[in-house]
Amino acid sequence: MIRCESLFKSYGAVQAVQGVNFEVASQEFIAILGPSGCGKSTLLRLVAGLEEPDAGHLYLRGQEISGPRQLVPPENRRFGMVFQDFALFPHMSVSANIAYGLSGARSEKQARVQELLTLVGLPHLADKMPHMISGGEQQRIAVARALAPRPQLILMDEPFSNLDYQLRVQLRRDIRRILKQEGVAALLVTHDQTEAITFSDRVFLMYAGELVQTGVPEVVYRHPKNLWAASFVGEANFLEVSHASGSPETSLGPLGASGVGSLARRLMVRPEEIRLEVPSRAEDARAVVREVEFSGPVKVVEIEMKDGQRLSVHTSPQSNWNPGEGVTPVLDRYLLFDASGTLLESPTGAAG
Amino acid sequence: MSHRSFRWSALLALLALLFSLPFLALIGLAVQAEQTVWGHLWQTVMPGYLFNSLHLALLVGLGTLLLGVGSGWLVAMYDFPGRRWFEWALLLPLAYPGYIVAMVYMELLDYAGPVQRTLRGWFGWKTPRDYWFPEVASVGGAGVMLTLVLYPYVYLLARTAFQQQAGVLLEASRMLGRSRRSSFWRVGLPLARPAIIVGVSLVLMETLADFGTVQLFAVQTFTTGIYHTWFGTNNPSGAAQLALSLLACVVLLVALERHSRKLQKSQSRNLVVRPFPRRVPARPKQWLAVLACLAPLSLGFLLPSAMLLMWTWQSFARVHLDAFAEDALHSLLLAAFAAGCAVLLGLFLSYGLRLKTQRSLRWVVRLVSLGYAIPGPVVALGVLLPFSWLDREWLNPQLEAWLGWKATYLLSGTVLVLLFAYLVRFLSLAFGTVEAGLNGITPGMDEASRMLGRNSRQTLREIHLPLLRRSILTASLLVFVDVMKELPATLMLRPFNFGTLATRAFGYAAEERLQQASLWCLTIVAFGLVPLVLTNWKMRSASERATAPPSHRLSPVADPAES
Repeated sequence: MIRCESLFKSYGAVQAVQGVNFEVASQEFIAILGPSGCGKSTLLRLVAGLEEPDAGHLYLRGQEISGPRQLVPPENRRFGMVFQDFALFPHMSVSANIAYGLSGARSEKQARVQELLTLVGLPHLADKMPHMISGGEQQRIAVARALAPRPQLILMDEPFSNLDYQLRVQLRRDIRRILKQEGVAALLVTHDQTEAITFSDRVFLMYAGELVQTGVPEVVYRHPKNLWAASFVGEANFLEVSHASGSPETSLGPLGASGVGSLARRLMVRPEEIRLEVPSRAEDARAVVREVEFSGPVKVVEIEMKDGQRLSVHTSPQSNWNPGEGVTPVLDRYLLFDASGTLLESPTGAAG
Repeated sequence: MSHRSFRWSALLALLALLFSLPFLALIGLAVQAEQTVWGHLWQTVMPGYLFNSLHLALLVGLGTLLLGVGSGWLVAMYDFPGRRWFEWALLLPLAYPGYIVAMVYMELLDYAGPVQRTLRGWFGWKTPRDYWFPEVASVGGAGVMLTLVLYPYVYLLARTAFQQQAGVLLEASRMLGRSRRSSFWRVGLPLARPAIIVGVSLVLMETLADFGTVQLFAVQTFTTGIYHTWFGTNNPSGAAQLALSLLACVVLLVALERHSRKLQKSQSRNLVVRPFPRRVPARPKQWLAVLACLAPLSLGFLLPSAMLLMWTWQSFARVHLDAFAEDALHSLLLAAFAAGCAVLLGLFLSYGLRLKTQRSLRWVVRLVSLGYAIPGPVVALGVLLPFSWLDREWLNPQLEAWLGWKATYLLSGTVLVLLFAYLVRFLSLAFGTVEAGLNGITPGMDEASRMLGRNSRQTLREIHLPLLRRSILTASLLVFVDVMKELPATLMLRPFNFGTLATRAFGYAAEERLQQASLWCLTIVAFGLVPLVLTNWKMRSASERATAPPSHRLSPVADPAES
């Protein structure tokens, strides 16, 4: 539905967006995920038309809306936008806010406002002023306002970051349902990986103005393209890979040999992909338990290997490890990265 | 109640009494006067004063609204050559007291002035009947003069409102399908309305308080009326009644201003301030914007400054430098002394407020903070009345009995009464600034200092004073400059044969010897520039976020009675 071709934008010396390409399908939910300052908000504002790109094209259903010769102003793009601070007009009532983007007969507007208020579950707030309602309510009204003119695409700039944790989870779920119900496509900007993974159909991982990886959340999580992606999405352990003995090995022992093994420099393993076993003999223990932290659904065990490298391991909450105990870690699955930090198409094997 | 807090309360009560004295005296005199005085006023001069004052207020209100909101919107929303410079430079006319701009234009546009002379030369006109030229010395002329020097109030408040709060909301509006223009009318302007109303009410307060401009142009308003009724017809109770009527208007304006400030605060809550991307219009439109900003700036600052510089240069040989030195010394001493006293009292009041929060105390503070809105002639009258009464009824007989002095008027005839009038008018300014600084020192800091082994005096010396240094400096500077510029109270209360920069300049102008006054005027304007330069420096150093007020009127004067 919307296609973006080598989009560039810089502010003075700062390259905010550097040659971004992507395409979003109708009714698809995209999360642009990245650390602060990576250019994700700028990218969103370029799509919105609130910023002018230095170069590149944007197409809406094949029609160019942004390019060197053509720049459709934001008001004519007909996208909805939900701002970080909601940006409700403080001098208008809740229903006037929702009606703001509507045109047509009074009664039609009224009907649409009612419909949206019901959709977001707040019909009783119609006549309230924005400063009289809570943060979560303001958020829903902001969504209702953005949806009112029936946009095909809704843009959201860190829409949940101003809310506290519990409310955030609840609202994310509600708003996802509401947007799906309205059948719009959504572009969500966030620095919160949980939010990105749970909200979106596809994640665009962004770093230093470029899209590092795009894909279904699960794929991005399980097959990060490089070391940065691996550590930004989810928790990751890294081990040095050495080739001193001729074949690749880590401090946990030799790796299952394969074609690409010789290029491997780093090994990445997720905490939940490590199993801890009791060594058959005490001197066989490859690591020692250092810290144990109970955090509800999992127990996080930190182990230290003989060479001092540490690994974080998620075990079941019922497990019973104690600091000082010797253990043998077993990797159920791992990924290998080459000297430039790029993922090697490696077998997912077991080691140690 | 402990001994210490009793002492505080007693001192504050004394202060309250002192500062309410002028108003009590005015009310007393006005009430005690015979009914006929009031009726007489209404039958003779009052309708004229009322009409002229309202007419002037309407003109200046509309003028500043147009110039201020227009230039504020341009600077906030568009990019054009020199925009960053205009952002600050548009404030420059604030350095001019109305009467100095009025003097300059009077000299320029008068029948004998260079403009009309040149026109006559070009077209061969001989007498005033041959052509039409707008009369400068009129209500309209005074309106234009005051608009030129007062629009920066509206400009600054409007610009800040547009830049700071409307930015993200304007984006929201555009995302909902409204064009730039439609967004301005439906979101930008309504949101800035409270700020604009604050600006306009400040402008109207200044307009009602103006004395120099209208006196120079012989426009009969309340302020000149008070002056004439008192000095011309020697009718203090009539003057007092006029003063009270004027005061009533001012109080209305103050109420409007406070209400708008509160509204503004409630609307700007929890909005992230984000710089709004400015639009770069097409070339011709850019130059139109430059022109629109340049016009008020040149008329209100550049042209008058150029003329004053030229006249100073031309008349330098004929200037009485010793007279100038004497007047400058008087002005400096008065301003310095008033600033010192105001800051000390301001510190005292704000500490009193910090230590105690009784209702009675807040009443004192509110009374003091009203001072800034009260026109100079009203203050002068209110101050002179009780002091001259004291002299007449008490001090003079005493002195005569004890020392054999005759009719000295020790209180009312000296600079003492002048200083007191300055304090009544400008204390709020020092108090507001110091209080804002003190509010930055949280109770936690006091407690931390005490927990680390300092007593309250050491805490004051080691924590409070270093932290307050900046606001103390700013406060003294603001009072200093305002005293330098002050005209009507100085004119009415100064001792016989005692001149300041302002009174002498005005005296020259009244005798139509303006060119000789230009050195005096230039000096006053130079001092008036100091707070503006300071603002510029602050704005650059603390990024655009901190729009430090270049004038006290622009910073909300603390109204703790409401907190």
